[in-house]
Amino acid sequence: MEATNGESAPTAPANGEREDPGGFKLKFCTVCASNQNRSMEAHLRLSQAHYPVISFGTGSLVRLPGPSITQPNVYQFNKVSYDAMYKELHEKDPRLYTANGLLNMLGRNRQVKWGPERWQDWQIGIPRTDHASDRGSEGTEGGVVDVVITCEERCWDAVIDDLLNRGSPLNRPVHVINVDIKDNHEEASIGGRGILDLADSLNNAAKEEREAVGPTAFDMASAASRASFDERVPDIIGEWQERWPNLPATWTLAWF
Amino acid sequence: MATAQLSVQDQIRQLEGARKLVLGNANYYTQVIQATLPIIGPSAQVEFRRWGAEFLAEAFATPAIAPGQKETLSLVVLETLKLLVEDPNQDVLVLRGVIQAAASIYPLALRWIINNSYDTHTWERMTAIKTRILRIWDTAPLNVRICCIKFAQRVVLAQTQSINPEPRRGDLLDISLVMIPSNHPILDAPKLEAEASGLLDRMLGVLQDNSSDALIVDATLNTLSILVRNRPTTSNRIVNTVLNFNPLKLASSPLTPRTKVLIKSMEKTTRMLLMHLSRRNPQNPLVGRMQQQIERLMRSRAEIFDEGSRKRALVEQPNGVETKRQRTGVVPPHPQLEITPLKPGPHTLADVFTFTSNDGLKHFDVSNNVPAHIAARISVTTFARVDPQLLDRAIQGVRDRLTTLYEAQQQPVNPETAPLDVEEDEDDYEPDFYTAEDTEQILNKLDSSPADDRHELEKPALGGLALPTFHLPPPPTLNPEQAAKVGQGSVTRVFGTMRTLEDPAIKKAKAGINRLAASSYDRDSWITVITRLATRANAGLDNLEEDEDSKEAISTIRLSDTIREQLFNYVLEDFRKRIEVAVSWLSEEWYNDKVQEQSSPTLSDIPAHYEKWTLRLLDGFIPYLHSQDKVLTRFLSELPELNPAIFSRVQTLCRDPSLVNLALTTLYYLVMMRPPIRDLALDVIQDIWTDYEDARPIAAKYLQRWRPNFIEAAQQTLSGNEGAVGASATTVVT
Repeated sequence: MEATNGESAPTAPANGEREDPGGFKLKFCTVCASNQNRSMEAHLRLSQAHYPVISFGTGSLVRLPGPSITQPNVYQFNKVSYDAMYKELHEKDPRLYTANGLLNMLGRNRQVKWGPERWQDWQIGIPRTDHASDRGSEGTEGGVVDVVITCEERCWDAVIDDLLNRGSPLNRPVHVINVDIKDNHEEASIGGRGILDLADSLNNAAKEEREAVGPTAFDMASAASRASFDERVPDIIGEWQERWPNLPATWTLAWF
Repeated sequence: MATAQLSVQDQIRQLEGARKLVLGNANYYTQVIQATLPIIGPSAQVEFRRWGAEFLAEAFATPAIAPGQKETLSLVVLETLKLLVEDPNQDVLVLRGVIQAAASIYPLALRWIINNSYDTHTWERMTAIKTRILRIWDTAPLNVRICCIKFAQRVVLAQTQSINPEPRRGDLLDISLVMIPSNHPILDAPKLEAEASGLLDRMLGVLQDNSSDALIVDATLNTLSILVRNRPTTSNRIVNTVLNFNPLKLASSPLTPRTKVLIKSMEKTTRMLLMHLSRRNPQNPLVGRMQQQIERLMRSRAEIFDEGSRKRALVEQPNGVETKRQRTGVVPPHPQLEITPLKPGPHTLADVFTFTSNDGLKHFDVSNNVPAHIAARISVTTFARVDPQLLDRAIQGVRDRLTTLYEAQQQPVNPETAPLDVEEDEDDYEPDFYTAEDTEQILNKLDSSPADDRHELEKPALGGLALPTFHLPPPPTLNPEQAAKVGQGSVTRVFGTMRTLEDPAIKKAKAGINRLAASSYDRDSWITVITRLATRANAGLDNLEEDEDSKEAISTIRLSDTIREQLFNYVLEDFRKRIEVAVSWLSEEWYNDKVQEQSSPTLSDIPAHYEKWTLRLLDGFIPYLHSQDKVLTRFLSELPELNPAIFSRVQTLCRDPSLVNLALTTLYYLVMMRPPIRDLALDVIQDIWTDYEDARPIAAKYLQRWRPNFIEAAQQTLSGNEGAVGASATTVVT
């Protein structure tokens, strides 16, 4: 059976802002290699849906396609803004970089936040009060998130390896989910919708958990009927995977 | 009711305002925590307790607060945390926050009690919190249990020996058993360690039971890395448990979307941990087993999720005990290694060693694309990790191929030998002999001929069978130029080595006259070798000159001159340090010149290398001398022979007034210390006195003692001359 992504997505999110539903919100972090295409598409989508969201890249450098495969445009993470890249590429060859979509992408990104950030340089738990102008910054001031969504297996691996490396000093659980998205503009757009759908599903579960006030605790019968958010994550991903069969997912519970 | 609800929201908003304040400036934490503690206490509404628990968890986690400040803060909040966690009807999310905060505080509290053993109350509170958390660990909802696991991990971390004997003050992960003094009044290190060991067992229990609860399994696996890396006593137990854990057990049940997520998750998390550990600590003796397990997991996962087969998937037994089905070869015990026999036709050596069928890989030229040092590093790590059985198989594969090749080389012989057999008498046919001869020939050809010629050379090898004997073709003769070139190359390499060799740290006692010329591979030995090569190499050839091709002799002479040239440059590169080299070289030259003279007294045209090179050296470094240099004095005093030509170079020094003293001191030193050339040296001083007016005062002082007559005579003539000069000068002026 040929399945298409998002065939039966319950709510096809509109392209653009939606009304802020308020209430509890999970904090998200999107990650790809260069913090340019896939993670930024998802960053924008999630922020448009009023989720607290930050984003990172796991590569050593920001690499953008150049005139040929051997001449990429390479930038340092945390040092060069999207705006500066936009201007530089516009100056170099406006036709080429308009045609391959780079200027469009950078133009979008500079509306979202200042510049690409590197995952490995992220000081987890240091307040991000200086990122107030970033889209989706509201709610991420504490410098931690509940869910990390990577856009490539390689990035998921890098994130997990980095978290193992840090030795989990913060004692805070974090769900790390990979959603495999090919690195091109079309797939990034589809992936962005998929990630938003996933975020909505996860957030609904988390909201329900918080609405259930009380000890639940040691009464196993009630605990089963009202499983916690953390327990429900694999179910949610499983259901989501049925809706988005072309975006293979991997999940683990890791620690900050 | 509505107003009450509103007030709760308003208050939460106020609390959020306070939180924003501390996020902006961590210095306010003390005030804000103290102000909010009454609001978030055990009797507060659940919204406040939730907010408070999360706030405390955040406060004690953030690296924005210095560990010292956190330690002080922890004393303030422990009682509240204890009351919150001990409430049997506590809200689940409150419990989560409290346990997270407690996990962050535990090492701080331990360090506090280590340094403040009087404060038993604090430690009692911490212990009560610990006891409570460990009690609810097994029965709490899963989202609380994972926090209990993390708490237990921090206890284990704090109560085992760290790999760092000197704990880094700023790193809370480094707080460990090593910080507890053996005579601590409250803490008993062995007891704490035993507790940690028990807790670790409890943590690992979930893996030993092969639980399928991915949330708990992942939460546990993801806490283990730091224990393995920084707590050596836990390392083996943890790694062995992880290696025996089978994350794919669920695969035997029907694959629902949920189980697929769970299997993938546990497999990948296990694999990531093993990869992380084997990469971070490649010396770990268990790395080999980790690598095997990583590969096994990847294969099994691929099989389970292979789109083609929807059948019940095989489950790997991680302990290596294979089930019946596995023995059918569906899962080979070792990674597939396809050793295809070589196709007929010529092969390069690389072909023989290549197993891959991937064309891209085959044509990848490592020597051009990978720098040697990186290639070496990759090779070493690969060899260290490769499965020995796999390696054995590969080696056997190459052996087999070589054997096949060896046999194949013999085959072409047969059609040639067959006619022989028919034509000649049977008695003459000695197949063993021919075969042996032929193989040898081929091997010889392969060894001695360049690759391009091989094709051509194969024919004579076969035709040669008709001949009864085989002559090894002589090696191509080097023409004189090639020989000289190769010689120069070797010499250059020796110089390269000498440059890199360090000065011996301790000066060895000189062995004196009995020393061997070059008994070790230090710089002195190389210098001896190289100087003798320069001086004596052609000495023998001079005698043979009549027999040899004259061209060849010339080139050899050229070679020794090249060496001399290189020695000359070598010394001048740093003449102050290398003057010793110069002296020993020139001594060799002098010796050689003498020997030459003796051996062929009739020949007058023996080139006097000694003088030539001594003068060149002097000319080389004299321009760089300064007035404090001892090097000239030393050089001249150690040279085996001095002559007027050499002295004339010294004399030129006096052109520079600042070097007059140096030149004269050097000469005077020779006068004093080398009686045989005393007169010669005095003559030079005399000349200097005559030629250089600036030098007169000092020269006169030296001459006073040795040639008083000269001074007197000179003084007189001088005064006469001066008068004349003065007279003429006046005449000119007037």
